[in-house]
Amino acid sequence: MLSRNLIRLNLDVKSKEEAIRILAEDFVEAGVVKESFVDAVLEREQESPTALPAVAYDVAIPHTVSAHVITPAMNVAVLKHPVEFQQMGSPDVTLHPQVLFMLAISDPKDQLSLLRRIMKMLQNKDLLNQIRAAKSEDEIYGLLKPVIEV
Amino acid sequence: MATRIKILSICGSGVVTSNMVAGKLKDLFAEKGYDAETVEANSSEVEGCCSREHFDLIAYASPISNNCGVPAFNAIGLITGMGEDEFMEEAIEALHKAGK
Repeated sequence: MLSRNLIRLNLDVKSKEEAIRILAEDFVEAGVVKESFVDAVLEREQESPTALPAVAYDVAIPHTVSAHVITPAMNVAVLKHPVEFQQMGSPDVTLHPQVLFMLAISDPKDQLSLLRRIMKMLQNKDLLNQIRAAKSEDEIYGLLKPVIEV
Repeated sequence: MATRIKILSICGSGVVTSNMVAGKLKDLFAEKGYDAETVEANSSEVEGCCSREHFDLIAYASPISNNCGVPAFNAIGLITGMGEDEFMEEAIEALHKAGK
């Protein structure tokens, strides 16, 4: 589910499209999604945005339908500068996520407890602040492993 | 005996967010004495779902164009954890109005 190779610190991007493409291609390279995931997740973000005004700062959780996913995975990107995303459920609201958590979910019913753990993570102010302040990918991996991979 | 209710949980893909919301709603309604059954779908499936079965509430994380007469509430607060109480107050008020 988590992998050090799927964590990026100081990701320097100009737009959400650029960020999503990089993270989705990381998923493809790791073999957790099909190549079709890249376009699907970009399209899905346009149609149905995924930024959230989380308790510590804005985040986004780009994802798409299970057909493009091989095995469940999550990647983490701490952005060098926030980029504009639209808010989930309110596409007219612009948010400025500082951290992105891209999700690959292959079977939501089977992975329900994982989804609950991810949601809990999104509601944990201290953890979110620690992720943003982390000095290395290893540090983020160490913070998230006990929370996500129970 | 817990009151049984049925909730339609809507998000953009019908995969990730609607299932997160559904899990949260089952927990929150259980605390209030309800036994909540959920159906997860994407926003284009609302009318189809509502024509097939009766729902007491709709929780949406993606805008819906037609609530089919079912009380509908924005579920983003359940995902961020900020606004849970407001969501539950409004949802339970709607259930009470419907005699549940």
